Amino acid sequence: MAEVKTREKRILWIISIPMALLALSAVYPVFFAINAALKTRKGYVLDRFGLTTDPTFANFAQAWNQSRLSEYFTNSVVVTVGAVLVLLVVASMAGFALAILRFRGRKIIFVAILVSLMIPVQVVLVPFYRTMIGLHLVDSRPGLIIAYTAFFLPFSVYLMTAFYARLPRELFEAAQIDGANLLKVWWHIMLPMGKPALLTLGILNTLYCWNDVLISLLVLQDQRTLMVGIAALRGEYTTNVPLLAAGICLAAAPIVILYVIFQRQIVNGIAVGAVKG
Amino acid sequence: MTQTLTATDAKRRKAAAAHADPGSRSVERFAYLFVLPALALVVVFRIIPLIWGFGYSFTNYDGMSTPRFVGLDNYVGIAHDPVFLDSLVNMLILLATLPIWIGLPLVLAILIHQGVPGGKLFRAVYFFPAVLSSVIVGAIFNVLLRYDGSFNLFLKAMGFSAVDWLGNSSTALFSLIAVQLWSTFGMSLLIFIAGLSTVSAEMLEAAKLDGAKLLQTWWHIVIPSIRPIIEFAAVVTTIGMLTSMFGLIYVLTAGGPGTSTILPEFLIWLEQGKMNRPGYASAISMVLFLLMAGLAAIQIRIMSRNADI
Repeated sequence: MAEVKTREKRILWIISIPMALLALSAVYPVFFAINAALKTRKGYVLDRFGLTTDPTFANFAQAWNQSRLSEYFTNSVVVTVGAVLVLLVVASMAGFALAILRFRGRKIIFVAILVSLMIPVQVVLVPFYRTMIGLHLVDSRPGLIIAYTAFFLPFSVYLMTAFYARLPRELFEAAQIDGANLLKVWWHIMLPMGKPALLTLGILNTLYCWNDVLISLLVLQDQRTLMVGIAALRGEYTTNVPLLAAGICLAAAPIVILYVIFQRQIVNGIAVGAVKG
Repeated sequence: MTQTLTATDAKRRKAAAAHADPGSRSVERFAYLFVLPALALVVVFRIIPLIWGFGYSFTNYDGMSTPRFVGLDNYVGIAHDPVFLDSLVNMLILLATLPIWIGLPLVLAILIHQGVPGGKLFRAVYFFPAVLSSVIVGAIFNVLLRYDGSFNLFLKAMGFSAVDWLGNSSTALFSLIAVQLWSTFGMSLLIFIAGLSTVSAEMLEAAKLDGAKLLQTWWHIVIPSIRPIIEFAAVVTTIGMLTSMFGLIYVLTAGGPGTSTILPEFLIWLEQGKMNRPGYASAISMVLFLLMAGLAAIQIRIMSRNADI
């Protein structure tokens, strides 16, 4: 028996070598981008792959200032923060009502919100765009915030409803007897109790909003979010790879930091969404 | 003392009952007010546009003059449109690679679950590309896959010849698929690891005592016991293939060369950009929606069947 165990261990050790190579491939592109961003244009042409010897930050400065990435960065921050806040408030309100309160049409409304998961933006691209024009929401940051909320909301509502439905009802009933009105119950009990789910949703929705390109391309015209800006930079500077790489690093940095800090929540959020969904 | 308690209890129960009562007007009004923002957003920006687009797809609307009903003309039109047909073929090729999208993360998940050295680290690293925007991934790979890029350098070092991966219509689609697979397989990996944690350890031990080989226990015990999870991942991955490739196509290949990397979702974008035939673009949208609805039906069937077990 022990012999089988050691043999199995040895096999696993051997297998871990190709797995480590695959892991290297998963981080290589980001390493390549950082390394290229630290080279001068000439330095990159002379040696594209070697480790940079005298790093320069000029590309970052140029991307940030001359290529208007600072402006796009601000747009992305405003829109992402705005959309995530609206998403959390709206999803928590809906989750509270759907999970705890009793009212006619509750099931139908829940199903309607879930069914809209099956309507991705591509399917409604034309009429959605016309709706945005009709409501004067095109080319405005509030418009993009509303669009993100509309498209990322169903999963959030589903998760908040499922989370609140698992809370003990006594919590809610006790608050009722103390004479608190429902708005206060939501504010003082539901929001604080929902913190774990709200945190997961906040992080996941931050990823979705920050990384989006399609909805942003559609809604904004004169203004750009960071990802649309990077896509444009890719088209404009095909030969100036260090500048493009610097832009890529600036655009990815917030997400990489977020992943390092909240890795557990992100990983669990994906898994919970999958297994429970 | 006992009596006071009972009285409080009764009061409590009564209060609770008042809430369970659907006739409680103020609660109902409050509840409607609280679901209204979510419902309004979903209805205004998704459900009504879907119905609207369905209507468009039967008209010759050009964005300006009054739309006229033309029956199935748009659908007949797209059925004869070589670009649309190319996009369908590309989509079928993409869908045919599904076994790799499931098999690769499944094998890796089982290995990590079995305790490969460094498993936790592998999990975190494999998932890392999935948090990056497809724009970031696409922009980097656009450089790496160039004729003079890292990948060809690597191939040459291994003794192979260089290939213009993105500029060649016979390799561009496979490059696109490979990059998307590389950047998203961590998602399915997480799903499988979560599923595997529910497989009972005793069952595995018992099988081992019976002398079953490692691969036998995988095939006969581990994989069947997470079958619902595998089916779920297959549906989610397929939905992703139909609707999450836009960003990568937009940055990596822009649909080219020619039509070799145009998928239906990208074609809808190209068509809507022309602005003068929303009816035509809507017809393509409806085809995509039908595919999505079919997948949803499968998903619901899987979920309800699993609930029956």
